[in-house]
Amino acid sequence: MKKELPKIDEYNFPLIYKHLSNFIKIEVSKARVNSVVLGLSGGIDSAVACYLASNALGKENVAALIMPYESSSGSSMDDALKVVKTLGISHYVIDITKQINEYFTKEKAVAAPDDIRVRKGNKMARERMSILYDYSYKLNSLVLGTSNKSELLLGYGTLYGDMASALNPIGDIYKTQIYQLAEHLDIPKSIITKAPSADLWEGQSDEGELGFTYETADGIMYLLIDKMYKPEVVVSLGYDENLVNKIYDKIKKSQYKRRMPLIAKVSERTINIDFRYLRDWA
Amino acid sequence: MKKNNSIKICLAQTNPKVGDLKKNIENHIEIISGAKDKGANLVVFPELSLTGYFLKDSVYDLGININTDEAAILEPIYKAAKDLDISVIAGFVEKDADFNFYNSSCCISKGKLINVHRKVYLPTYGMFEELRYFKPGDGFGVFDMDGVKVSVLTCEDAWHLSSSYIAVNKGAHIIIVNSASPARGITAGLNKFNSMNMWEELLSVIAFYYKSYVIYVNRVGFEDGIGFSGGSCILNPLGEVEKKLDYLEEEVVSADINLDLLNNERFKTPLIRDENLNLTLKEIEGIINKGTKK
Repeated sequence: MKKELPKIDEYNFPLIYKHLSNFIKIEVSKARVNSVVLGLSGGIDSAVACYLASNALGKENVAALIMPYESSSGSSMDDALKVVKTLGISHYVIDITKQINEYFTKEKAVAAPDDIRVRKGNKMARERMSILYDYSYKLNSLVLGTSNKSELLLGYGTLYGDMASALNPIGDIYKTQIYQLAEHLDIPKSIITKAPSADLWEGQSDEGELGFTYETADGIMYLLIDKMYKPEVVVSLGYDENLVNKIYDKIKKSQYKRRMPLIAKVSERTINIDFRYLRDWA
Repeated sequence: MKKNNSIKICLAQTNPKVGDLKKNIENHIEIISGAKDKGANLVVFPELSLTGYFLKDSVYDLGININTDEAAILEPIYKAAKDLDISVIAGFVEKDADFNFYNSSCCISKGKLINVHRKVYLPTYGMFEELRYFKPGDGFGVFDMDGVKVSVLTCEDAWHLSSSYIAVNKGAHIIIVNSASPARGITAGLNKFNSMNMWEELLSVIAFYYKSYVIYVNRVGFEDGIGFSGGSCILNPLGEVEKKLDYLEEEVVSADINLDLLNNERFKTPLIRDENLNLTLKEIEGIINKGTKK
């Protein structure tokens, strides 16, 4: 009964690549536009999404926004520029330090430093989203999402921040598989080998904050979600009970982040409750 | 191969535009004309080829009662089939006189409607919600198309092996499986999605053990992030793949099938001849009666 997270390897990669490229191509054209805009952080997720989009739509139809804050690491910028250069796509560098700091000058005095750190992180994510959607209008492009399945399930993202997009090619791919995909896409090594980080403050690390590695969590989430095994069954297969419960709890508690806002039903036909059409309806 | 004992079948692996009957009909006509140019006798389109698949509430807008004026929208297909002396199997949302909706496939041959298959097994689990909208069909018909006995199974129908069992014992020589099957599941070391692999194994079993030709036509394209896997193919009564279309891409291919192979295979391995229908009936009655006595 023990199953392992399937690896993206040289056998299944070609078809997955084609599938994800078709997804981008077809869903973008349904919106009657030709292009996408995405935030490029220098990390592996946005790099993978960017490579996929460039292959699907052509380099002239992908625009990358690099939006550093004063504490963003210099290597993030270097890595983002490496992606831009390798693919030959257009890019814009927009520093968000000023507006973030301006807002928090008034807040800092009254809030605890730890709270401020999280709030600043969220604010940065939403500022970037806000700029992306402005560029979406400006460039007549869709915003391409870059959240992977692991962070979406764990709720390790900012609602209406980095989680916001028009379409996301990698949202059903676990972080562990993103690395495998990156290898096959020939993404620069420095991006693949560095530790995953939201880079919202100096020295931040995903795995440090979460308290477990993506590799371990992905193995567990694959059984809980993809295979629909109950937590106690996952534990019986040899996984640490505390960790399984912790992860399952995180998934449950972040369900709200993966859904549209609740609407109070009043009428006979309510949006997304019993007014049901595909987004592709039109 | 005797030329007069073969038929040419066109597999139309299309990407229907969801909800757009008019555009899909135009596309069908174009493909039918092209198939005729290649000498095809029959063109097979995927499940719900005229409407798209994940229709949700738009089922209500797309239903056609084929016995009323509503059928006028299909007139171009009737006309093409007549003018080009060809048969067409296409999928649509059927509405009956009592306003029930069906996931149906019509066979229009030379300008006449000769068969409608209403999908029997409507998947309503995981990502599927067909039973929410459609009424199940009530049988697996076998019909004569130019002297060839044909049965149509729609997607999930084929996953129930009883469907092909019924079709072949009713006399089908060609089992047509039209589908809208989403690509899903990956495995290390496997160069296709798991769902494609399951289909290929299933179709091979049906073709080999029911000693029939199996024509599988699956759609491609995306609907709200769900991608359909294509991989349409023809399998002969040896369970071998005679023709195979691309995964994930639109493609239209015509190929001959040699009906003499049915004769040859059914003589050498007479599984259908030896099938004990009475025994099956007795066993099934036993199962049903036991169930009702509880």
